[in-house]
Amino acid sequence: MDIEIFILWASALIFISVLTSKLSDRFSLPALLLFLLVGILAGSEGLGGIYFDDPGLAKTIGVFALIFIIYYGGLDTPWKSVKPLLAPGLILATFGVLITAVTVGLFAVLILKFSLLEGLLLGSIVSSTDAAAVFSVLRSRRISLKGSLKSLLELESGSNDPMAVFLTIGVIGLLAGQNASGVQLLPLFVLNMGVGLLAGYLMARLGIFMINRVKLEYDGLYQVLIAALILLTYSVANFSRGNGFLAVYVLGLMMSRSAFIHKRQSVRFYEGVAWLMQIAMFLTLGLLVFPSQIKPIIGPGLLISAMLIFLGRPISVFLCLLPFRFQFKEKVLISWVGLRGAVPVILATFPLLAGVAQAHTIFNIVFFVVLTSVLVQGTSIPVVSKRLGLDIPFDRKKRYPLELDETEGIEASLNDLIVPYNSAAVGQPIASIDLPPQALIVLISRAEHFIIPTGSTVIEAGDVLLVLGKDSDFSQVQATLSKLREPEEKSS
Amino acid sequence: MIAEYLVKEAIIPDLRSGDKAGVVREMVEALSKAGSVRDVDGTTEWLLEREKLGSTGIGQNIAVPHAKREDVKKLLVTVGLSARGIDFDALDGDPVNIVFLVLAPSDATGLHLKVLARIARLLKDKVFRNSLRSCKSAQDVFSTIKEEDERAV
Repeated sequence: MDIEIFILWASALIFISVLTSKLSDRFSLPALLLFLLVGILAGSEGLGGIYFDDPGLAKTIGVFALIFIIYYGGLDTPWKSVKPLLAPGLILATFGVLITAVTVGLFAVLILKFSLLEGLLLGSIVSSTDAAAVFSVLRSRRISLKGSLKSLLELESGSNDPMAVFLTIGVIGLLAGQNASGVQLLPLFVLNMGVGLLAGYLMARLGIFMINRVKLEYDGLYQVLIAALILLTYSVANFSRGNGFLAVYVLGLMMSRSAFIHKRQSVRFYEGVAWLMQIAMFLTLGLLVFPSQIKPIIGPGLLISAMLIFLGRPISVFLCLLPFRFQFKEKVLISWVGLRGAVPVILATFPLLAGVAQAHTIFNIVFFVVLTSVLVQGTSIPVVSKRLGLDIPFDRKKRYPLELDETEGIEASLNDLIVPYNSAAVGQPIASIDLPPQALIVLISRAEHFIIPTGSTVIEAGDVLLVLGKDSDFSQVQATLSKLREPEEKSS
Repeated sequence: MIAEYLVKEAIIPDLRSGDKAGVVREMVEALSKAGSVRDVDGTTEWLLEREKLGSTGIGQNIAVPHAKREDVKKLLVTVGLSARGIDFDALDGDPVNIVFLVLAPSDATGLHLKVLARIARLLKDKVFRNSLRSCKSAQDVFSTIKEEDERAV
């Protein structure tokens, strides 16, 4: 294709995709589904008539996009809320994925007359839930899930892709006869994950150190440096036989926990990059699909989808969460939020390129499974969570202007304290109290009303102060206000 | 306005523990038995974490441990009394007899601040403090607070 024409098509399709995201809010369809539809419509069997049949290029775009999407998934993980859920989250992300892959695989052997390995390949490909799909549904659809469920689902979906990639590549290896037996996969798994983890960790330490030391002349170059760091992390892990996707996820996670120059811009920037990558990827995949080829597999596709949604996923969730204290209905909901997305479709291009016998059938089935999963589960999560009584009605989530979300770039939080009755500060204007300069009293709650303080506001006993500042500064404020009044002034 | 958040079944007129950690746990357990709190360990830890930033013993033998938590559905207040006194690291070093424990949903900052201010204001009154101290049962505590709450509008 001529470059001028290519640019026209690419820009027009991306433009349309961005606009369709508005529809996703209105009609409560996950945005990624719409991107896919735009791709399909633009394809040779749709209105656009673009013929695209190059799984190699699709895979290249897919892997490249995935690196950035997974990095952003790590960067966007709210570490504080995720930390207490690390154990169940990681078990779901590893064993959970394995259990799903095996159950779906066995079922595929039964109904598609696949060989065991081909079945396992199909199972592995659809085994991971999709972070982008889960996030977009949980965030855009005005859904508030109770307690820690949301954090658990976000952690799981963000961190389970590496396992699916590992399984897929492993099974393709077995099919090609590279690995003699499945037993050899176990040490390979340990090596793959271990090296991935280590590479991500080391590259993050190194990268953050560099970013903070290098003192670049141009601010824009910092984001370029990070882009290089992300790709390099993937490569380093890959070439040392580790899992590149896991490494990139760990890198993102580490970056989100550390302070570095221009962090806030960086998070914004990579949010944009992640979106662009998602659109590019789904458009490509949409183009790669030929709806006419999907038709014949609708029957088995539906069976596999139903199997995944109603059996594979629930079995894996209930088994993995056995050691943890979750209610039955919570496990049902976690099972239901098992949306599949981009990763399976990208992984489905792997067997195409490896020349696996059933590759085309697998690709089309995977595509169909993703479609049904997003359509059925994605659109029904609000209803299901309501039925289970696990949603928080949206009107209860009314935002007060007094709230501060964990914000990148500000290490401060809002804390409150009650001014002790016999504090030396009582009766003093704020300006005359020796408070740490980095802490700010933003609001006073007194009797029935709120006061926005100024330097001349006089503190009263029993005032509740809302203080903005780091925890250490807050402690200092509290210590200052806890100084006792001189005994001779003490009134009874 | 406090009475409507007060969990009557979780009021403890005679706290067993004599130290901060024990008392906080005892009160959270009472809330859990009343069906208001699910994660006893996590909630206790969270409240004690807040105490590390500075004690909520505000003098006059009173402490108001409080925290906001994501898994708290509605604002909860409970009260514990201790005749022998609790070591709460209060600023004046005096033992604490009256503990008001407040748990709020993490998105209810405004209400949380109001309730704290209300508690602090009611407890400023010496007569109220003394009548609270002399309560012998949970019902006593509840009606004493309710009365004062309605009186002091």
